[in-house]
Amino acid sequence: MKKAIQLDPSDNVATLLVDTIKGDEIAIISTNNEVIDVVTCLQAITFGNKVALTDIANQQVITKASYPVGVAIMAIPRGQLAHVQNVRSQRLDIPDNIIQEIIKQMRIEQA
Amino acid sequence: MMKHFIGFGRADGSVGIRNHVLIMAVDECCDGIARAIADSIDNGIVVTNYNTCMYGGNEEMINTMVHTGNNPNVAGVLVLAMGCGSIDPEIVAAPIRDSGRPAFSLVCMKQQGTRSTITQGKALAQELQQAAYAAPRIEKPISELIIGVKCGGSDTSSGIASNPSVGRAVDTLVDMGATAIAGELIELVGCETILRQRAVSPLVADKLERLIHEEEARWHVDGAEVETMSIGNSVGGLTTLEEKSFGALSKTGTRPIQDVLQINHLVHEKPTTPGFYLSEVTHLCGSAGMHFASLGAHLILWTTGGAGFNNPIVPVIRVSGNQYLLNEDIDIDASGIMRAEEAVESVAERIVAKVSFVAQGQQTNIEEIGYSYCSLYQKDQRLETVLRFKPSC
Repeated sequence: MKKAIQLDPSDNVATLLVDTIKGDEIAIISTNNEVIDVVTCLQAITFGNKVALTDIANQQVITKASYPVGVAIMAIPRGQLAHVQNVRSQRLDIPDNIIQEIIKQMRIEQA
Repeated sequence: MMKHFIGFGRADGSVGIRNHVLIMAVDECCDGIARAIADSIDNGIVVTNYNTCMYGGNEEMINTMVHTGNNPNVAGVLVLAMGCGSIDPEIVAAPIRDSGRPAFSLVCMKQQGTRSTITQGKALAQELQQAAYAAPRIEKPISELIIGVKCGGSDTSSGIASNPSVGRAVDTLVDMGATAIAGELIELVGCETILRQRAVSPLVADKLERLIHEEEARWHVDGAEVETMSIGNSVGGLTTLEEKSFGALSKTGTRPIQDVLQINHLVHEKPTTPGFYLSEVTHLCGSAGMHFASLGAHLILWTTGGAGFNNPIVPVIRVSGNQYLLNEDIDIDASGIMRAEEAVESVAERIVAKVSFVAQGQQTNIEEIGYSYCSLYQKDQRLETVLRFKPSC
């Protein structure tokens, strides 16, 4: 089974260790390599990107490796890609035209 | 693992792991002359000021050139000027000469022109090369190394594999008595609370927070949006600067922060005692290589996806944990961590061993092949004034 790693038990996202396609079942592993959850991908997510482990509400903080890494700007359902299209920095934003370029280059699917 | 290296002794007491001659052009108009001269010797490296050819406003950059000339890996320097700008090449050459290194200067307009400057410059470069070859070989423990730490071309594998491995290696090297310096304060935005706890004193903690805040303000001017992380960073899975920061933080290890070395037009602070330092080394890659050179670094640990960053003065050891981007340029493969096949500790041991080998003269994967430009970043004094930053010295 394809894997994603949750870096801290408090995290609401996990990092994909391989590319996935929509409908893939992903084993969520801990840093001790134990399977702790299975999540169905709602869209294609590439290696290194983050999948939501819970239903994340609009304005909820995204936590990775126990650190706050951004805030949701819309609801992010479990299994969806958490990235520039639905998360913003709390400190220093990426310019809008660059966000559009990232979405284009990554061919982010609308879930 | 050998715990010593035999380096090149300099008159100022430092010992280099490489033996370079710098041909510095204080204005872009004599860049071609500098390159023609550098090509005539084995170990010549060109450093060109591509900013304005004025002195006023370029003080920080000129200081970086001077301190780069005094890097332990540098044996001697030839400084060139066209002669129509404001920067007297002796402004750079004289303080390098004060370090005991041979340093010459030439002004093209005072010679017969380009061809005769090249001819005369080649003769001086030849002399510098001979002086380099004559440098005494001196044995030093690995613990006397000064090591720069930086990331470039980061993706999510950096925060999980390469950065934690380098961080662990940095801890080991610092525990041995070495000096390690990280910079990129813009990529520590969000990490202030954690970093304050590592500062050796409240004074250093406050300095750290002030310098991170200033860098954030410099790169975030309302109405003038500029990128602080690359599209490649985001395609690689990094969503925000904070996420990049927390990943980047792990490459700094865990040891106390002795100081935050300032680089501005008044001061160019260098490490005074062994240990771990933060600094104002820029996040911009080419210029970061030069900043590390100017702080006296012998070599650089560089975490990346697959970027083959290289600096001609300070050897770069590239570490990647991204099995999809890893290529022949990468010196240390940390991708086993991403596959849960190798522990961080084990990769860190390989990094420390590589530091030792490179200090002993072993070439990195792309040493002497493809180098980045020796860019000389400096803060724009006009922006500093508009932002009301007053550097302390």
